[in-house]
Amino acid sequence: MLRIALKGILGRKARLVLTSLAVILGTAFLSGTAVFSATLNRTFDNLFSDVFRNVDSYVRSTQVIEADFGAEERQRIPAELIETIEAVPGIADVQGDIQAFARIIGKDGQPLGSEGAGPPTFGSVGEEFKGALWTISEGKFPSNSTEVALDEASAKAGKYVIGDKVKVVAQAGSRDFTLVGIAGYGDVRSPGGATFALFDLATAQEFLAKPGFVDAILISGDGSVSDEELAQAINAAIPSSYKTETLTGAQITQETQDQIGSALSFFNILLSTFSYIALGVGSFVIYNVFSISAAQRQRENALLRAIGASKKQVTRAMLIESVVVGLFGSVIGLFAGIGLSKALSALLKAAGIDLPTGGLVVPSSAIVNTIVVGLIVTVSSAWLPARRAGKVPPLAAMRETAIEIVALTRRRTIFGFVLIALGAATIIAVTNGASNTWLGLGILFVFSGTITLGPVIARPVALLLGKPAERLRGVTGTMARQNSARNPKRTSRTASPVLIGVALVTAVAALAASIRTQIDGVFTEQFKGNYAISTTARGFGGLSPSLADEINLLPEVERATGVGLLTVKIEDRGQYLTTINPATAEGVFDLGLTSGTYADLTAETIFVSEQYAENNDAKLGDTIAVTLADAEVKSLTIAGIYELDDLAGKYTVSRDLIKDSTVINFDLGVYIKTKAGISEESARAVLQAAVDKYGQGTLLSKREFIDSQSGQINQLLGLIYGLLFLSVIIAVVGIIITLLLSVFERQREIGLLRAVGMTKSQVRTTVRWESVITSLLGAVVGIVLGVGLGWVIVYALRDQGLTSFSVPISSTVSILIMAFVIGVLAAVYPAWRATRVNLLTAITTS
Amino acid sequence: MNNPSAATATNVSKIYGHGDSEVRALDNVSVQFETGKFTAIMGPSGSGKSTLMHCMAGLDEMTAGSVTIADIDIASLKDKELTRLRRDKIGFVFQSFNLVPTLTADENIRLPLLLGNNNGNEEWIQKVINTVHLQDRLTHRPSELSGGQQQRVAVARALASEPAIIFADEPTGNLDSTTGNEILSFMRKAVDELGQTIVMVTHDPVSASYADRIVFLKDGKIAGELLEPTPELVLDYMKKLGH
Repeated sequence: MLRIALKGILGRKARLVLTSLAVILGTAFLSGTAVFSATLNRTFDNLFSDVFRNVDSYVRSTQVIEADFGAEERQRIPAELIETIEAVPGIADVQGDIQAFARIIGKDGQPLGSEGAGPPTFGSVGEEFKGALWTISEGKFPSNSTEVALDEASAKAGKYVIGDKVKVVAQAGSRDFTLVGIAGYGDVRSPGGATFALFDLATAQEFLAKPGFVDAILISGDGSVSDEELAQAINAAIPSSYKTETLTGAQITQETQDQIGSALSFFNILLSTFSYIALGVGSFVIYNVFSISAAQRQRENALLRAIGASKKQVTRAMLIESVVVGLFGSVIGLFAGIGLSKALSALLKAAGIDLPTGGLVVPSSAIVNTIVVGLIVTVSSAWLPARRAGKVPPLAAMRETAIEIVALTRRRTIFGFVLIALGAATIIAVTNGASNTWLGLGILFVFSGTITLGPVIARPVALLLGKPAERLRGVTGTMARQNSARNPKRTSRTASPVLIGVALVTAVAALAASIRTQIDGVFTEQFKGNYAISTTARGFGGLSPSLADEINLLPEVERATGVGLLTVKIEDRGQYLTTINPATAEGVFDLGLTSGTYADLTAETIFVSEQYAENNDAKLGDTIAVTLADAEVKSLTIAGIYELDDLAGKYTVSRDLIKDSTVINFDLGVYIKTKAGISEESARAVLQAAVDKYGQGTLLSKREFIDSQSGQINQLLGLIYGLLFLSVIIAVVGIIITLLLSVFERQREIGLLRAVGMTKSQVRTTVRWESVITSLLGAVVGIVLGVGLGWVIVYALRDQGLTSFSVPISSTVSILIMAFVIGVLAAVYPAWRATRVNLLTAITTS
Repeated sequence: MNNPSAATATNVSKIYGHGDSEVRALDNVSVQFETGKFTAIMGPSGSGKSTLMHCMAGLDEMTAGSVTIADIDIASLKDKELTRLRRDKIGFVFQSFNLVPTLTADENIRLPLLLGNNNGNEEWIQKVINTVHLQDRLTHRPSELSGGQQQRVAVARALASEPAIIFADEPTGNLDSTTGNEILSFMRKAVDELGQTIVMVTHDPVSASYADRIVFLKDGKIAGELLEPTPELVLDYMKKLGH
């Protein structure tokens, strides 16, 4: 039987290729994302082991605030500790380190590096130090407050040469420096695509952070003692009142690598989730191909049964074929995936996320995983068709033509409806108070139910969708419509991948539309000015607070106020506080105060949201203990309560609270109201001049600002669409394969049609419309499911403040148009094959 | 009907292969099929009777010679024009798999007209449908029709566009003799009452006896002709040819 199976495979190479195609695509995404993730991890690991290569000890504060999303803010330490450490025996060199936000402004006035999602832009210390990785390749290290050195890549990107004036923006504002040196970073010109502006220690402290403080102290030993002993000695030398800890070089390397690793793990999970979705979609295609191929070989299998093969043997022959296809496809998929990982880097780069690229890493786990998963998916997808093949009665060998059994059982209908009902019940239970975690199960039930019902609804829906084709294309349209409905099981299996892809895309679009509506409403309500300066930098850097102050003083401006975020600890939990300038906020940034006035907000008071007050039973006059990032604890009195908390969150404080601390302080937006009678041109002119002076942020009108705020989700959306595109490709390939097999099956019919006068272009039209109807079938059902799924997700996020659900009308329309185009494109090759059908062999009875 | 010939083959040859393996399926065949007549082509298997029909109907390319259908020289036609010629000027009845399974009987009958976006002559179509007694089967799909009914639909389709000529390839080959005779009677009626021209390939003397004239083929050549045949005459003639 093995011989028969293998002969069968080799005898039909075309079918082998078609069947393998689905396996190849599915596994290619799996291996591609695995290789990509591994390469990325390795790149960052290498980067950080380079960074700390010559650092033997690392001293830093133990005071750290951990906020949501793994964000971490560590307190700075006094620079005077450097002298304490220098006295410890076994030390060769000591260096204060600062790594803070700084942006280099190019000669064209545009900042270097990307704002927001790209690699970070750093300001740091560049001094002679034994443990440093920075080496001057041209010029010298900066030695006074007017000098700067740049990393090689940034110098090149900004076309800067030694002696040029370079504008740099940092926490203290925007300043011009003289470029005195160009520095290399180990073996690379720029570490991981980040930009670096380097200063001497004093300048770095004053310009980037706070005079007298550093982020950490790097120590290079003289080799007389081990790293561990050195770290212990240093730790012993520092009084405990400084609240510091000393790590060895190996420890800080490991810790940094782990941090990056966990930051990347979210990304890796995202990638592998989508590759498994793609594989799941692919399994439908594999299942479909094996089903069709079993049907087409019905006579052959019946003959085998007639001459004495057992059911088991026929089934086994087909399973052996699936093992061969699975292996063949997975191995090719593995290699295709390695190529794909390169394409993935390009995709992310296009989405604005530029990642450093190192050598390709192909972990053995990726190889094993790809082949094992590919094999399992293929064989299990072939299981049912193989069993069905074994059940063919020997008598079928005598039948004229092989037609797939299309009987739809009542059991299937009932089972499908039961699944959907269970899913709906679960979701309704959640809306009535059950835990959100049940939603996933509910969604799964509804999806499985819909897929189960697929063959039942395929016929009526395909016939309905085919109506226009019939109207438009006459009898060719009629045939296309009937063809798409003649085998509902096959049609629904072909449409299922489209359905899943479209449902996910629609759900994401619905989520995005809802978020946009929400953002729109919030800003329209709270932002009362007519211009804003925004920055896309989140969590790292932002607008200098003095920008808002300067704009506020402009004669054309009635009022301008800066709004920022502060990470603090309240009751031992990381929290975000909104910082405002109470002197200028009123009438521009509206909190909707229900009690208190803006004047009540001082360095000793705090405003809380109505929601917070209600939940915590807080009232005016109560105090809240807030631990700032520099470990200072402030007891703030509640002096006001506000109702508009969508932007400000639970707590709002005055920026005066941190004016004299080491705490990093940036504005994330400046809201501006110009004086009445100021024309748009002159307003824009003066405001733009102020923005240019700082080289940071983008000036936007109120409308533009609101659009840009909601536009930020477009980037994420783009990434998700890109990843779902993988599934769409598989769906398209599924349609192509099914159409090809159908065309092959209908050779005689096509030959007959050609004989009685159907032109080639009419043949193509028929195939094309069948494809379009199938694709639209998947899209329409997918949209219905997707809108439902979107609603469920939005509902699940209601606690995160998402209160309105919007149906993504424009996305839905474009999805339908895309489904149409996909149908047309998928039909190109099968339609051409159909016109190549040999007329004579088709109509002569052999 | 100025031209008595609906289809003419002049010196048609069809050669497969080259050199030693060369097979002459048709060897310099010249034949005319008169308008308004029912002609049968007979011959043993491999005699080239089907090949002749395929070449004359524009379904297969000939190696040499020329064929005219309704005064059109088909050798000069491109695929698209040839397809249109088949659609508008030629009717077909095959032995099996004659109908498109997804279309109703009515749609199958009108198929060549529908493909040409042509409404056709409704009066004529009704007459054809009445002639083959299909009035009450029009909304059925082929799978719901008996073999005989399916062949009647095929005959009706061949007639529907009032073609210049109808080619039938063993139209009763898959039917029992009663049903087969019924189909042949319909074809006879189509010639006698509706003035159609039919060329039928068959190997059955009884079927052939429904024709006005029989052309015998052997080894790719015309081996003889018989007018006003009866089954007995046909059998005799076949014996004479060495069957």
